[in-house]
Amino acid sequence: MIDASPTDTLAAAADKIVAKDMDVFYGSFQAIKHASLTMKAQHVTALIGPSGCGKSTFLRALNRMHDLTPGARVEGCVMLDDEDIYGPDADPVVIRHRIGMVFQRPNPFPKTIYENVVYGPRIHGEHSRSALDGIAEHALKQAALWDEVKDRMHRSALDLSGGQQQRLCIARAVALNPEVILMDEPASALDPIATSKIEDLIGQLTDAYTVVIVTHSMQQAARISDFTAFFHLGEIVEVGPTNQIFTHPKEKRTEDYITGRFG
Amino acid sequence: MAMTTAVPPRRSVSATESVRARKIADAVATAVLWVMASSIVVMLAAFIIYMVYLGWHALSLSFIFGVPKETTAGGGIGPEIYNSFYILILTLLFTTPIAVAAGVFLQEYAKPGLFRNIVQFSAESLATVPSVVMGLFGLLVFVYTFHWGYTALGGALTLTVLNLPALLRVTQEALLSVPDSLREASMGLGGTKWQTITRVVLPSAIGRLTTGIVLIAGRIYGETAALIFTAGLSVTGNHPYDINPFHTAETLAVHLWYTHSESIVPDVDRIGNGSALVLLIMVLLFNVSARIVGRALTKHFTGRSS
Repeated sequence: MIDASPTDTLAAAADKIVAKDMDVFYGSFQAIKHASLTMKAQHVTALIGPSGCGKSTFLRALNRMHDLTPGARVEGCVMLDDEDIYGPDADPVVIRHRIGMVFQRPNPFPKTIYENVVYGPRIHGEHSRSALDGIAEHALKQAALWDEVKDRMHRSALDLSGGQQQRLCIARAVALNPEVILMDEPASALDPIATSKIEDLIGQLTDAYTVVIVTHSMQQAARISDFTAFFHLGEIVEVGPTNQIFTHPKEKRTEDYITGRFG
Repeated sequence: MAMTTAVPPRRSVSATESVRARKIADAVATAVLWVMASSIVVMLAAFIIYMVYLGWHALSLSFIFGVPKETTAGGGIGPEIYNSFYILILTLLFTTPIAVAAGVFLQEYAKPGLFRNIVQFSAESLATVPSVVMGLFGLLVFVYTFHWGYTALGGALTLTVLNLPALLRVTQEALLSVPDSLREASMGLGGTKWQTITRVVLPSAIGRLTTGIVLIAGRIYGETAALIFTAGLSVTGNHPYDINPFHTAETLAVHLWYTHSESIVPDVDRIGNGSALVLLIMVLLFNVSARIVGRALTKHFTGRSS
């Protein structure tokens, strides 16, 4: 992907999410300081940085997951297309419908595979069995899981392997037909083979979706992302096209991190 | 300053004196712990065997389905079994909705703070009230103040107050066993709080919840002190299987106490031992069915057997 898209066409892509001067607090602790970042439509933006740098905190602010954390507070604005998701009229239910999320550990519901995939459409009011069947098949195909589960749709999702469970969680997010998919270290709990399947899948998802992914693996960021933002101590130190960040970082701290001098 | 490390002397791999002593301590500890654990099984088995030995001759159709007698031999316990179930079901009908709703509120909605602490503290205080005191409370309120006399309803309401804290705790623990990652998954898909609770949290907790409810049902079934003062010590002679909740309703457990301490029938031992055995069988059945029902519901809601 990186080789296929020269830097100038990357820059020409439309803006999907633009965070402007975002601060995130947990109580009195400021976890994110004045972060501004533009995430381009139908591209993969990777958020990298050492543990505790705030990259997951930043990601969770993009679909208002901090609303669920007592004591957490977000300031600044996050524009989805032209609207601020922290604006007075913005509704978290609608936002999370448009911006899906895949978590660090696979968290399928203790329900059947089928019920997991159609959960999103169901709670948003789709009740037609045939429509749900179609959505389930389409989402599982997009998540490259269909062939493995089509004969056992009504078995428990908990009987799947970790890698399959994570792809099921991606299918569950895709089933809502979101515009953006946020992924919080989606492969960190998986073995190398399952990881490579998830990475292949992310490459295909950008045909339709904008992807923002947190990863602790620089190799993974280099393999799958178009843009990379480097976080350190709650600030975005540097952001740019991935190949540039990894070959010619402008900041000393970025270079130190990607060459393994700290982390 | 350079560290000097001496080459260790040659040693044997066979046990030394100190190793042998530690191994003996280990073996003794294992044996003691095994005996303690096994004693539970032995006590249960001895208890059941003795109860069966005492009570099995009393078991007959006329005893289980018959009506008790006031002064002569040959009385049965049919109405008492009926009343036990009647009060049990009535109590669960009152307790379950309150306890589950309160548990969901405390666990899923209430933010840490004064109100939550007050509710939690009240429940814990209520849990420490002895059942006989609760029975006196029921006597004062339902029997005297409301002028109901001894009724199944008064007994059930008293047992509701008595068992509410335990069922609240069961609910809270069942909800606590549902990992937050599932709530996050549902909210992350745009679910509302209520959708998350009804479609993910409660179905995931239903197995534990049911197991807890059935175990408490066993306790309600065996309760005496609170019922002596509220549901009474007799059954209505002409209507032994009354469905009116205002009927006097002696339960099996109360009947067991009554025959042994107050009754003047000549076959006290037969009735007492037989009642005890029936009561024991019922409570054991509750415990077994708690597991079966809990497992079945978990499988139904989660598609998984464990």
